[in-house]
Amino acid sequence: MNKFQVFFNYFDREPIIIQLVWMLSCLLFVAIIVLIIYIKFLRKHLRDKEELIAKFSEKNELLLITYLYAENEEGGVSSEQQIVINKLKRGIANKFKREIIVSSLLKLRNEISGEMAEAIQDLYAQITLKNFALAKLKNKKWDRIAAGIRELTLFHVKDAHDEVIKHVSHPKKEVRKEVQLYLVSLFNFDGLIFLNDLKTPLSEWDQIQFLGELQKIENQQIPDISLWLKSTNDYVVIFALKLAKIYNQFEMKDVLIELLSHKSEKVRSELFLVLSHLYIVEAKDILKNNFSERDKEDQLAFFELLDNLADNNDEDFIVEHTHHENFEIKLLALKILKNLNIDKFRSFDLIPPESEFVKIIKFLENN
Amino acid sequence: MNDKKKIVLAEDNSTLSLLLKFRLEKEGYEILIAADGKEAIEKIEQHNPDLILTDIMMPFVSGLEVISYVRNELKIQTPIIVFSAAGQEEMVLKAFNLGANDFMGKPFSPNELVIRIKRILG
Repeated sequence: MNKFQVFFNYFDREPIIIQLVWMLSCLLFVAIIVLIIYIKFLRKHLRDKEELIAKFSEKNELLLITYLYAENEEGGVSSEQQIVINKLKRGIANKFKREIIVSSLLKLRNEISGEMAEAIQDLYAQITLKNFALAKLKNKKWDRIAAGIRELTLFHVKDAHDEVIKHVSHPKKEVRKEVQLYLVSLFNFDGLIFLNDLKTPLSEWDQIQFLGELQKIENQQIPDISLWLKSTNDYVVIFALKLAKIYNQFEMKDVLIELLSHKSEKVRSELFLVLSHLYIVEAKDILKNNFSERDKEDQLAFFELLDNLADNNDEDFIVEHTHHENFEIKLLALKILKNLNIDKFRSFDLIPPESEFVKIIKFLENN
Repeated sequence: MNDKKKIVLAEDNSTLSLLLKFRLEKEGYEILIAADGKEAIEKIEQHNPDLILTDIMMPFVSGLEVISYVRNELKIQTPIIVFSAAGQEEMVLKAFNLGANDFMGKPFSPNELVIRIKRILG
């Protein structure tokens, strides 16, 4: 009797539960072996791919550096540069190689500026990579569209404007954001035209990115922002208020004053900062007249504004609110009064008020 | 005898390293490339360079750690120029506190870097 027969006889005699455990163990053993083989194969495949990428990247980097240092003194493309262009052009037909070429160009484009950065952009145009980025814009997948637009932005491809703008109202916010960044990065203030019809939100991070891009440009001549200040989209209004503050848009005074009655609390909160920054004193009388009708946030924001803009004409109004029920307003009122009229402020020492009031007075006297 | 001035360049972007190597070799310097901070420290100890160029953000050992090691462990005053990206202002201040001599914000012009190196090395 051979060993297998002994095993099968033993197996048949065992209860069903033991047989099941044996079968499960065998199944798991086979699964583990298959997985180990698969992982080994996968690791080898990934390492091979990594090696191939490294080898091709190295070759590309050398070609790129050769191109950049083979510039023709008289301008135009030198013969050495033309050889590099031809070699790279042959490579871009293959998707794998094309992605590595783009990545090498980007790696350098992001790190250097000046003539060499422009030369990289020229090379991008020379090897017609733009066409592949434009093709991505026609893809059904939103992430491919976003990647295509990002590439066009990074390589400053201005003539893709008409194709990019088609996606300005794309249902995916990631695509819309790439379109907006493309417009602002490449067309600066003119690119902000998308704000005219924007119906979707602009996140704080988006706004920071736009402002960052705008601050990079030399010409800081800002266009008329009144349309954006009057927008029905609160996000656009808030962004326009930030522009008004950064670019000192004092000529927008009347539109800014009109915004005092805006329905959004966030807009009004941003507005108070702008009014204070631009020193728009005309807003004070309007706010004093309807102070009691405004909510607590507005009232506090107004006192913060007065902290910067108050003058002797505001003294009576401030004294009137030194006993305001809100602690922060009361504190600000007393602080402003101390700066405006120290004698009047000291006269509070003679009044026997509630203990909290005395504490505030003492605190301000010592600070 | 090789009288070329030696520069250790610690930068994890291989394309940028290669570009700067070509440019600086053209100016007559000997460039030793390190792909990370760990390799940079080894090259500094081994070759005692005349100048160190280091990126701040690098794998394994950061540029800040390289500066700290050079100034506090090796106790040498080799000039150090730091490369920093936008938004790393805090890091640049730390680098200066640790003993860096100059910094260049990325993206930077290789020509400007050459001018700064010449000013430092004479």
